[in-house]
Amino acid sequence: MLSLWLGAADQGLAYAGLALGTYLTLRVLNFPDLTVDGSFALGGGTAAVLISQGAPIPLALGLAFLFGCLAGVVTGLIHTRLGVNDLFAGILTTTGLYSITLRLMGRSNIPLPETPAGILALPDLGLGLDGQWLVGLTLAMGGLILLISLLLATDFGLSLRALGNNPTMARANGINQRRGLTVGIAAANGLVALAGGLVATYQGFADVTMGIGSLILGLGMVIIGESVLRPRSVPQALLAVVVGAILFRTMIAIALQLGLEPVDLKLATALLLLIALAFGRLRIPGLSDQGRLLG
Amino acid sequence: MSHATPAPVQSGLTVSGLSWGHPLPGSGWRQLFRDFSLTCPPGQFLVVIGSNGSGKSTLLNLVAGTLRHDSGQIHLGNKPLHKLRDYQRARWIGRVMQNPLEGTCPALTVAENLRLAERRHRPARLIGGALIGMLGGIHPNGADRRRYRELLGDLGLPLADRLDEPVGQLSGGQRQTLSLVMATLGSPDLLLLDEHTAALDPRAEATVMALTDRLVRQLGTTALMVTHSLDQALGHGDRLVMLHEGSLIGDWSAAEREDLDPPALRAMYGAAIVAPQSSSAPDGSPAS
Repeated sequence: MLSLWLGAADQGLAYAGLALGTYLTLRVLNFPDLTVDGSFALGGGTAAVLISQGAPIPLALGLAFLFGCLAGVVTGLIHTRLGVNDLFAGILTTTGLYSITLRLMGRSNIPLPETPAGILALPDLGLGLDGQWLVGLTLAMGGLILLISLLLATDFGLSLRALGNNPTMARANGINQRRGLTVGIAAANGLVALAGGLVATYQGFADVTMGIGSLILGLGMVIIGESVLRPRSVPQALLAVVVGAILFRTMIAIALQLGLEPVDLKLATALLLLIALAFGRLRIPGLSDQGRLLG
Repeated sequence: MSHATPAPVQSGLTVSGLSWGHPLPGSGWRQLFRDFSLTCPPGQFLVVIGSNGSGKSTLLNLVAGTLRHDSGQIHLGNKPLHKLRDYQRARWIGRVMQNPLEGTCPALTVAENLRLAERRHRPARLIGGALIGMLGGIHPNGADRRRYRELLGDLGLPLADRLDEPVGQLSGGQRQTLSLVMATLGSPDLLLLDEHTAALDPRAEATVMALTDRLVRQLGTTALMVTHSLDQALGHGDRLVMLHEGSLIGDWSAAEREDLDPPALRAMYGAAIVAPQSSSAPDGSPAS
């Protein structure tokens, strides 16, 4: 049973980058970004290719982050320079990324049979391999939360938050909306691709379809975290979404334990979010705003 | 950034040969401004009055750059604003919007909003900003807060005690007061006031207008205030102009304004009929 909880915590931490990226786009930038479906798989594929060829994990994850950032830049430019609708810009990039990821991987699935040496070198807290993963992932997410908190507390972060909160006011105060959105979307997709790389490394394989439904997954994690912890500051919100990711994976582990077929997981997740959206408890710009959707 | 020391009078606003039009719903075209010119000397507090659709808010948007003009030139001193985007113009222009919700970020705190306005005078470098921001440290920090508390205290505003509250928790009047303080941070060359008391109750309106007069006088900033309130038009500013259908139909100095007969002006304003004794030529030259 302990293994079940540990595994859920490890998976939650591995997915936390997805939740952080979703938080950045949806909550900070107010931008519903569907690129995450493509950048998650891109990150997973990049990391898997490099690790399978003997590259160290930090290098593999670093490149995954970088490629994710590039995917975000593409979406940002499509939206801000070409004036394409935010949702459609993300869909366009994600569609293109499928082919790019497949090209990069060379095949649809890359197995990583051995646990990376970097993980095995960590203390296990008496919990075996799961404990080693827990230590590694907790350190990584702690560092990420600290880094993002610091960034969002600087003038740079304040500009991004202002852009998401009130673009008119942000522009009236000298903030370049095009550049700000593009940088923010890039950073968010970098985080998502990093999560893809971590998940591929943790589960021991990358698949070109692993990103399908990532936005919904990330959204679910953000909502659960915010509902449980009710954050009142940016660092609290970042911590909340990481906790949300862990809780989300824990709920999935419990559901699977109770007999839910793995093949039904995405349907169950989608239905859960649909219920929340339909009952108006969530106000997600561009997703739950009927006026914008129905025109 | 302090308001305590009056800044020297800076730049005047010159609008020349401005044209702007927009498509009408369905079909057709409305040419609102056609070869429009207006000069506002440095340090002048110019009040623009006009009925709905006269073009007064559009004029402000064209100066601020939130609307792109079709042709013509807009200069602030020797700076060609018409060649710059709105966020670039923001370095020299402070703006208070009509809607209190538009001029501030409700999710950010009072101190964070003030910090954003304070940063307005430095070019936004968002890509390098990540690194520079890290090196520059956390903002607003303790020193920023002390500065803001002092500033708001000097202005007699109770917001000094609410620096860490989200702006969304403030009343409309408080938000507009904050928006005004933000717009005047760093002594901008030009202050644009877009019917900034229209959404306020009479008490909040009086407070915001008193603060407006005080800040404009203290800073010596060139100011352009758009209003549909005759009381405001007759009681504030150094000069009053009236717009109708994108043309100047009246132009009075503060002294000339004293002699205006309010009922006549009201009739002129309401019906946009040029009263012979107080009208001006369409090119905006002063009325007799």
